[in-house]
Order: sequence, then C-alpha cells, then structure tokens
Amino acid sequence: MIWSLALQSLRLRPLRTFLTALGIAVAVGSTVIFLSLGEGLRQVFAQEIGGIGPDIQVSYGPFDTTALTAVPALPLRFARELAADGARYGVVRVTPIMLYARGGFSPGSSFLFQGLPPTVDVKDIYFDYEVVQGRGLGQGDAAARVAVVGEQVAERNSVGVGDTLRLNPENSLEIVGVARSGGGLVDNAVLVPLGSLQRAIGIRDRVSFLALDLAEPARAAEVAETLSEAFPKLGFQTQEQVLRVLERGVRVSDVVRLGISAIALIVGAIAVANTVLMSVFERTREFGVIRAVGAKPRFLFGLVLSESVLLSLVGAAFGVVIGRLGIVAVNRIAQDLIGLPVAALTLRLGLFAVAIAFLMGVLSGLLPAARAARIPIAVAMSRE
Amino acid sequence: MSERLEARQLRKVYRDPGGEVVALADFSYTFPAGAVTAIMGPSGSGKTTLLNLLAGLDTPSAGAVRLGDATVSTLSERERAELRLRRFGFVFQSYNLIAVQNALQNVAFPMGLAGVGSAQRKQKALELLGRFGLETRASHLPHKLSGGERQRVSVARALANDPDVLFADEPTGNLDSKSGRVVVAALRQAATEGRTVILVTHDLRLVDEVDRVLELADGLLQRERVPATVSS
Ligand SMILES: Nc1ncnc2c1ncn2[C@@H]1O[C@H](COP(=O)(O)OP(=O)(O)OP(=O)(O)O)[C@@H](O)[C@H]1O
Ligand SMILES: [Mg+2]
Repeated sequence: MIWSLALQSLRLRPLRTFLTALGIAVAVGSTVIFLSLGEGLRQVFAQEIGGIGPDIQVSYGPFDTTALTAVPALPLRFARELAADGARYGVVRVTPIMLYARGGFSPGSSFLFQGLPPTVDVKDIYFDYEVVQGRGLGQGDAAARVAVVGEQVAERNSVGVGDTLRLNPENSLEIVGVARSGGGLVDNAVLVPLGSLQRAIGIRDRVSFLALDLAEPARAAEVAETLSEAFPKLGFQTQEQVLRVLERGVRVSDVVRLGISAIALIVGAIAVANTVLMSVFERTREFGVIRAVGAKPRFLFGLVLSESVLLSLVGAAFGVVIGRLGIVAVNRIAQDLIGLPVAALTLRLGLFAVAIAFLMGVLSGLLPAARAARIPIAVAMSRE
Repeated sequence: MSERLEARQLRKVYRDPGGEVVALADFSYTFPAGAVTAIMGPSGSGKTTLLNLLAGLDTPSAGAVRLGDATVSTLSERERAELRLRRFGFVFQSYNLIAVQNALQNVAFPMGLAGVGSAQRKQKALELLGRFGLETRASHLPHKLSGGERQRVSVARALANDPDVLFADEPTGNLDSKSGRVVVAALRQAATEGRTVILVTHDLRLVDEVDRVLELADGLLQRERVPATVSS
C-alpha cells in the first residue's frame, strides 16, 4: 500500500518527478561512464593475458605496472641459464621480450615497440593474432630493420606495407605487415625482431621480460616458486599474478574515478532530498489527515522514504541508459586514439549503479521522512 | 452498544510568543451513544480544540478523555493512532481526502491500515460509496468531485472500520445547504446505528437536526440544550 501510494504521489507531479529523476540519471550515468573505464581495461587484460600469454612471466626484481614502460633491465644471461637448466624445472621454452615505448603528448603519436625473437610464433603470445596485410616476422628477419604494425597504428598514422616508420632519429624500420589480435593489444603495438630493436636503442644484453612455456602449465604456481628460490634476483609471475598486479593498478584508478563521481552523486542526492522535503511541506495537511484516520508515524516515515527511493531508482534506470550511450561514445573515441575499447558496461557495474542509487534514495529520504513522521496532527490539520 | 466517550476537567493552554492562550477550560461531559451531539459557539471559542482532544489528535494540558476503560489522553502516540484507526472516524471541513487516490482508494485506505485484505477492502468500500449514492464516482480523483461528493466520500471513509465514535469538524462549512443536509443526514444515520456522533458547527440551521447542543464561548461550556424539534 505504501509503495502504490508513493508511486501515485510521484505521478501526480510528473514534471518535478521527471526533472529530479533526470538529475539522478545524469549523476548515475556519469558514475557508470567513469567506472566503465576500468571494466573495459579488465576485459582486455583478461582476454589477452588470460587467453594465451606465457605460463610464467619473468621480470627483473618484483613485478609491478611500471615495469611495462621501464627501460629494459633484465640481463639476457638469465635467459640462457634458464634455457640450459629448463629441463630440470619443466620449462620447455624461454622467450625474451623487449618493450620500448616511444612517447608522445597524444596517445596517437605514442608507440609501443615489442622486440621478439624471430623464432617465436606470435600466435602463442597473442590471442587470435592474425596478419591482415603483407607478412609476419620470420626466421630470416633476425637482424633486419623491419616491423609488423598493429592495425590501429597503421590506420592512425596512415601507413601500410612498404612505408617506413621512424624508431628514433637514427633508425627507421620498413613495414612488412599489418596485424591485429582478438583483445586489441597487438592493434596498438609495433612488432620488431628482437635483435633489430636491441641494436636500434643500443641495449644489447638486456630485455624487459622473459616468457616461459611449461611442460605442465597447470603446475605454474609450483614451478614459479621453485624458480624464485633458484633465481632470487628475478621475479616469477603466473598469469593470475600478472592479472592481479594489473587489477591492483585498475583498482587504484577506480577509487580515483569513484571519488570524482561522488561529487555528481552528492549533488544528485541533495536534489532528491530537496524535492522530497518540498513535497512533504506541501502535503502537511494531507499527512495530517493520514495520521488522523489512524496511520502511525512509521507509516509516513516509510511513505516518504519509499518516494525518495523510488525516485532514485527511476533516475538510476535512466542513468544506466545514459551511461550505456556514453560508453559507446567513449569507446569510439578510445578506439581512434589507442585502439582499445577501454570502457565496458558489465552486469556488476549496472548492479553497483542501482545499489548506489538505492543508497542515495535512502540517505536523501531520511531527513524528509523524519520530518513527515514528526508533524503534529492538530497543527497539520489547521493548514489549508 | 458502544462504550461512552467521557471528558473530565479538560483544559488546553497554548503557549504563544505573545503569552498563554487558554483555548479550553474545565470541560466535563459524557457524550451519549446513538445520538448526534453538536458543539457550537463563535469563532475562536475552542470547538476545534475540544474536538482534537476528544479524538486523540492532541493532548490536553490537564484533565482526561476516556473511552470505556481506556484513558485516551494518556495513551502513547502509537496507541492513540491504533485507537483512531479502529474506533474513531473523522470528517473535516475540507481537503479531507488523499489527493492522489480515487474515491474508492480513499474509502479503502483505513481498512488497508487495519490490515483488511484487498478484495474485502474493495467490496466494503464500494458498498459504502453506494450507500451515499457515489457508486459511479468510485474511480474519480478528489479534484474531479464536487464539494458535496467529497464530503460524502469522507463520511464513507470515516465509517470504513465501523467506528464507535464519529467526529466531524465543520463538515458542511464549504457546502451549499442542500449538500450540507445530505452530509448531516449521513451523520444522523450513523448515530441511529448506535454510534456516538460529535459534530462541530456554527451553522445554526443544523440545530434542528441534532440531539444535543453544547454551547462554547471563550473556551468554557456555557450550556447544554436539547432541541425540542428533534423527533427520532
Ligand atoms: N496551535 C495554536 N497555537 C496557539 N493558539 C491556538 C492554536 N490553536 C488554536 N489557538 C487558539 O485557541 C483558541 C481556540 O481555537 P479553536 O481553533 O479551537 O477555535 P474554534 O472554535 O474552532 O474556531 P473556528 O470556529 O474559527 O474554527 C483561539 O483563540 C485560537 O487562536
Ligand atoms: Mg475550528
């Protein structure tokens, strides 16, 4: 009975209800968009790294997100030692990988170069890797100044097979192929033979990471532990551990983005409180009648709180729609800039938005509800 | 049949910034069941104040209101709400109805509070509306009804939980005399069913329609009259 009465009250003043709900919708929508950014990155990571990736990734020292862009520091001799001793640990292959970021002010002029040994099959590293133009890197490319560029890199810079790409002032690479991968990570990278990249940046005996393939991938955690004892200077991470480090990075930025959205949410909550309080004042006489015919104070408390919650939930529903549209727009822009769909509306994000709106409704309804419950009947009845 | 409503030494003092207003003093009276008792007097004489105290809408500064064995004036807020719900019915001068609910929902409302099931609620509400010639108005919102119709819906609602006592504060104040007579007839009928009916009015034409008249002036009970012409 309370809910239907609350709904009827909201419907009686459609314009006011609509405007307040719109305020909430914008607040919830912007929160959804902000938080969707992290969700999109999570999906990319999970697909690319969880999809294939190495069984164990080796870093020099402990692994964190800054390692992705740091200067290559891992001495290559470890690769040789691991390969020589591999059989003992169940390691079947050691692949050195070099990452070299050439920054720019806009994401469009930044490149991530990846040096890979020519013997490696890129399909083992990237999920759904596919050469869409020209050829991939091969055995014969060991020292050649050639590159396979990601689809996005090619598109953004309007380059293709046969063009040259400047690595630094002294070194240029010839593009021999264009490729892409399922999750989009390759789309944004430039693949170069390891030797060529080392020579070009003048770092010959160091790489960024080693990728280990195991005879029994299921035992990765156990092997990583044994290896950590044997090679105390190195960090060994299983796929889950890598994902966990990335997840931690995303979570920090989640908190920051939630903090920004909190401002919009607080403004929305104040709007709800104001609307509901106003309607409590307007209906003082009606509330007096309701109490006179036998409703307890609790009834009015519940009624006003229900109106507030209902208003917030209606707003949240529109907010999720606004968020969905915003995410499409964000991804269109992100796709152009960095080639990754960074934003995603996941089920848990949708539920989170509804939960936030529910909480907003309760919090902003408390004060007006307490007001309504305390109105003295005789005074309320003397109002016209 | 129903228990008697009784006021003992009732007193109500309002504290204002400008000082104290004694709105009602030393009011004692036992209201007869099965009769309509009118409370009359000039504006500001304390009629509404008295009604509010009797009905448990306000608490007295001194004195007591009793319904049978229960002392209304010392009950808790919740107990008074329960008492109003089950044993009292109300009709006020205007804006009596819940604006967002139609006539049927308004009449059914107190039954909902009392926990009556929805089918039974609807049936009883329709029956009450029918009794006051409002069956065709059941789905109208209050602002679509005439003043007289609204007051009849209020009377129907007041009877929803089969109360012992019916309180009406100027129920005809905003009505023309014809509509007013219909409402008073409805109250009279409620009295013949054995209920105690207490009617606040300053409409002197109603004197001939009631069983007793209490005259108030300046918060004091001046006298009790039994109009000679009443013939029931
Ligand atoms: N809440 C209040 N605070 C202060 N004074 C009040 C309050 N309510 C009523 N009074 C005063 O108490 C006195 C009696 O008021 P009451 O409303 O009972 O009169 P009434 O007989 O119902 O008048 P009317 O015929 O105009 O409705 C008046 O002097 C009024 O000003
Ligand atoms: Mg009055």
